[in-house]
Amino acid sequence: MAKCFALLGWSLPVIESMQKMDKPYVVVSFPDFEQYAAENNIPFVSYQFDEWSDTSNSLDLHEKLKPYNVDVAVPLFEETVEWAGALNSIYRDDPRVLNRAFLFRNKAMMKRKALIGGLRVGLFEEVYNKEGVKEFMKRLNAANLQVEGEEDSWVHIKPFASAGTVGHRLLRSMSDIDEKCEEGDFPCLAESHLPGQEFSCEAFVHGGKIRFLNITEYVKLGYSNFIPEGNYLHTKREKIMKEMQKLVDLFGIQYGMIHPEWFLTENDELNFGEVACRIPGGHILELCGKAYDFDALAAFVLCHDPDLTEEELNKILPPIDARPKTFYGNVMIYPHKNRIEKLEIPEELKEEPFFLDHNLVPPLTTQKINDRDGFGNHFGTVNFKGDDPDRMTELLLHYENVDFYV
Amino acid sequence: MSEQTIDDINQSRLKELLNDFFEATSLTKPDKANKLMNQIDIMADSKLGIECIYSYVPSLTEAGIFDGSPWADPSKLVPNLANGTLKSGHPNSTIELLSELRLMAIVNGDLDNGQIEPDEASNYLQEIIVANLEFVFNEPQEETRLMMSDHELVKVHSLFKFIIDKVDLEQVKEKLSEELTLICAQRPVVTEKQRNIIALVKEKLDLDAYKPEDRKLLRFQKCIYSPTEGSADKPLDEYGHYLKTLTKAELYAEAQEMSSRMLEFGLVSQYQGILLLHLVRNEFHQIVPICLGLNPVGEAKWNENIAFVSDLIKDTVHPYNCQCIYGLAKMLENGVLGREAVRSSLSNLATSRIHLKVEERIDKSTRKKSKDVSSRQYLMGSLFRILGQPLGVGQGNNPTCQSARGISMWSKHSPAKLINMVQTVAVHDDISFRFEGQEIKASETIEGLVHNLDYNLDAVSVTLVPLLDKVYNEMMRRAAGRGDDPHKWVNPALYGQWILIGFASAYDYLSNAIVDFDGFTRIFYGMCHPEYNGQHQLIYPNPIGIFITSSKGEFLGFHAVSLLRVAKDDNKEYRAYFLNPNNEGRQDWGQGIKPSVFGNGEIAGESSLPLHQFAARVYAFHYNNLSQVSKQMEIPDSEIQKVKKLAKESWGQAYTWLETKKQW
Repeated sequence: MAKCFALLGWSLPVIESMQKMDKPYVVVSFPDFEQYAAENNIPFVSYQFDEWSDTSNSLDLHEKLKPYNVDVAVPLFEETVEWAGALNSIYRDDPRVLNRAFLFRNKAMMKRKALIGGLRVGLFEEVYNKEGVKEFMKRLNAANLQVEGEEDSWVHIKPFASAGTVGHRLLRSMSDIDEKCEEGDFPCLAESHLPGQEFSCEAFVHGGKIRFLNITEYVKLGYSNFIPEGNYLHTKREKIMKEMQKLVDLFGIQYGMIHPEWFLTENDELNFGEVACRIPGGHILELCGKAYDFDALAAFVLCHDPDLTEEELNKILPPIDARPKTFYGNVMIYPHKNRIEKLEIPEELKEEPFFLDHNLVPPLTTQKINDRDGFGNHFGTVNFKGDDPDRMTELLLHYENVDFYV
Repeated sequence: MSEQTIDDINQSRLKELLNDFFEATSLTKPDKANKLMNQIDIMADSKLGIECIYSYVPSLTEAGIFDGSPWADPSKLVPNLANGTLKSGHPNSTIELLSELRLMAIVNGDLDNGQIEPDEASNYLQEIIVANLEFVFNEPQEETRLMMSDHELVKVHSLFKFIIDKVDLEQVKEKLSEELTLICAQRPVVTEKQRNIIALVKEKLDLDAYKPEDRKLLRFQKCIYSPTEGSADKPLDEYGHYLKTLTKAELYAEAQEMSSRMLEFGLVSQYQGILLLHLVRNEFHQIVPICLGLNPVGEAKWNENIAFVSDLIKDTVHPYNCQCIYGLAKMLENGVLGREAVRSSLSNLATSRIHLKVEERIDKSTRKKSKDVSSRQYLMGSLFRILGQPLGVGQGNNPTCQSARGISMWSKHSPAKLINMVQTVAVHDDISFRFEGQEIKASETIEGLVHNLDYNLDAVSVTLVPLLDKVYNEMMRRAAGRGDDPHKWVNPALYGQWILIGFASAYDYLSNAIVDFDGFTRIFYGMCHPEYNGQHQLIYPNPIGIFITSSKGEFLGFHAVSLLRVAKDDNKEYRAYFLNPNNEGRQDWGQGIKPSVFGNGEIAGESSLPLHQFAARVYAFHYNNLSQVSKQMEIPDSEIQKVKKLAKESWGQAYTWLETKKQW
């Protein structure tokens, strides 16, 4: 049993779970949170994660955490993954733990690793400017045997080390490259468009083995998803499990949770998108916890502890073959207009039996909406719950386009 | 899941979210509270929803939903703040609603929180009711209508329907009687609100004729339920039989008593319908004017048109359509029936077949529809009321002040045109207008300002307004982009040729600012102030655009009223007398500007304000550009500055002001 968990980042639901389980922990985060932590009796060490210097580094942080007897570090934010890797390297006396963490923080390196290990990935390349992206698109067009007048091949560019959809751009043509790419995007990863049904997995790993696998069906990337996976995807579960274990072995993941994104093609093949090892966005663990009836956040933290016993593991995780009957899904709501005045919950939603709850907030006054960066900030989430995954898909697609803000 | 009703599902959602909230630590409580409050907001717009929320109030209170908020301690709440909070929208309105339900739970003994006694809670609730009668009867003021969404209105109205059902109203009596007096003083065409209050009082309160404050409420009750000694305690059909037993002299006395009841508050009882029909059918021609309470002018009109009016009465009046009797009486007195065109158009309408769509609208506007009364009878009855009480026209809970203002204006100055319009729409469910040489047909235009008409209107308004609104909107569209307020062209086209040619707007479209407000105000005074316009009176109502401001004086939006006259009141102060088509003339526009409807020389239906206060809210009006009197420069600058200060410190804060002089 870990003596103390260091939670790197900031998440009130995670802290609440730790308190409820009565597990020892200390939160490491930016100084902004210090006052709130003091007011709420949260053990806290303030740290500037975005500084890397003689006085701000993992050895220094290691020292600062000594009084708390920390022996396990858990990354909550994308930006704390390598910090947690560095600390855990020290705690486990294994330098490769840090190297593995870097895998998660450089998408080009991540793809190469996957390619070496025999996972199917698209064509990818590191690019340094717009010209680089254009060259990449040209080569892709050539490989796809483009004939004069045909559309260009789609290219995605992503920053090497950002969470989820931040900075992700889809470029459908040469002119898109000129219009959508900005100086600040580079260097970054360019990759070919992967077709297929997108989903993510949340694999809770302990001792190098997947102990529980959640599959999240994406209805629309950046907007909506639901748990557990729908009936079709469910028939592929065994195949997915195999590929997932391959990924865990390949990346050498011993403890914690990984959250990769996959594409299932029409030929029943799995393409690897990317993988993260922090708390996934889109309230996935919240939905997962509700669907499988367990504390997914607590499980996420505890799986990082090498000393966790088999008994404890079984207690905290659902059985590996569990198949809930009730599906939980959500759709993130973005205003569709440039000026919004008020929040209006549509009548049809109030009468929808699958509707569960929402946390949409009315605008304070007439509000101007800034252009979306990547997917931008959503204004809240509408949750659904029901026993029919097809109806769920229908609802999530529908409400993505409903105007809640007018 | 399909067997569950949506109410069951709502309840289980509420339960689940309450449980999540209850189990959360202080860290995630705000987040869970947000979801919980959102669910309460969704449920609160129905009776069952409110009942369900009420049953959870003790658990919600215990779980700490009020903790850390200004609502935490019920003994520290201020009743006068509730109205503003309820108007401010979710989430504030939702917690206010919960707070009211908590007080009710304390009154009913369902909750004991130790901070406030049931008696205190009851007093508090009564004060809230008094301050929120607009929600109790769902008659929102203009300010409220602009601020609140439909969902919020329904929600708050549901709350008060629930409260009113369960709370002792003993201490609200005086306020209710004042409310009734002031509404009736305005003689509105739609009498639903007064009737609702009177019915509520009858149902909820035991009145004691020996108490002075009760006596007044009893007088209102009598008007509707037992207007005469002869009608007391008699069912309607029995009263019909009873009339047959009366001698002519007894009928005369009965008619006298009946009409004096009607004239007291402008409310007509069903008994009066029976009596009037009895008199007309049995040709008691001398008693009819007594029953209608006519003055000598009205009586003369009756005598001139006995056959015509008798037919109108026989065709239209019915105990379930009786309020039109008051309108008919006023119609006889104001002389509209003297016009040949009016009589002809009324005869035309009386034999018209009504379009199905229009019938539907009329049905919807009739709360207690009787199968014995046809849509045409309702429409005719409503027309009597509008022709008799042009200043009683209201817009209901609709953004259609323009149309209401038009109906009122035509009723007085072009009644035959109005009746002809009603007939055209009633038959074709369509209407067409001329705009700058081109035809605008309502059926060929896009939507107007109204999306969901509030049917709490008279039958003439539900017939005309949806179409007038479309025509108005289309005219506004065609006149847009001309660098000036489109009303400059739309008002004369919509209302008719008596709208003056000159047009002044404080807002300058080209510079997007309020330009030369001093000059604007001078023109306004020169248009209407007798001392600066050559002691002239206004001939026709002047359609005026005003800024609506909140009770704090903040800019809220625009509204249309008609300036009817400017005259000195008993205190020798010049006042503007105007028609506010909002159902309720009494408003609070901030800075102490509160239009009055009674006691300052108002004719029933007029609102009034001291002239400078009215001027401080005006943004556009028409004037006679040929007779701009040179006396304008005699208007003391102090008066202009007084107006300007009020304007600048209220709605004016939402605008840029330029002092450059303008050629008006």
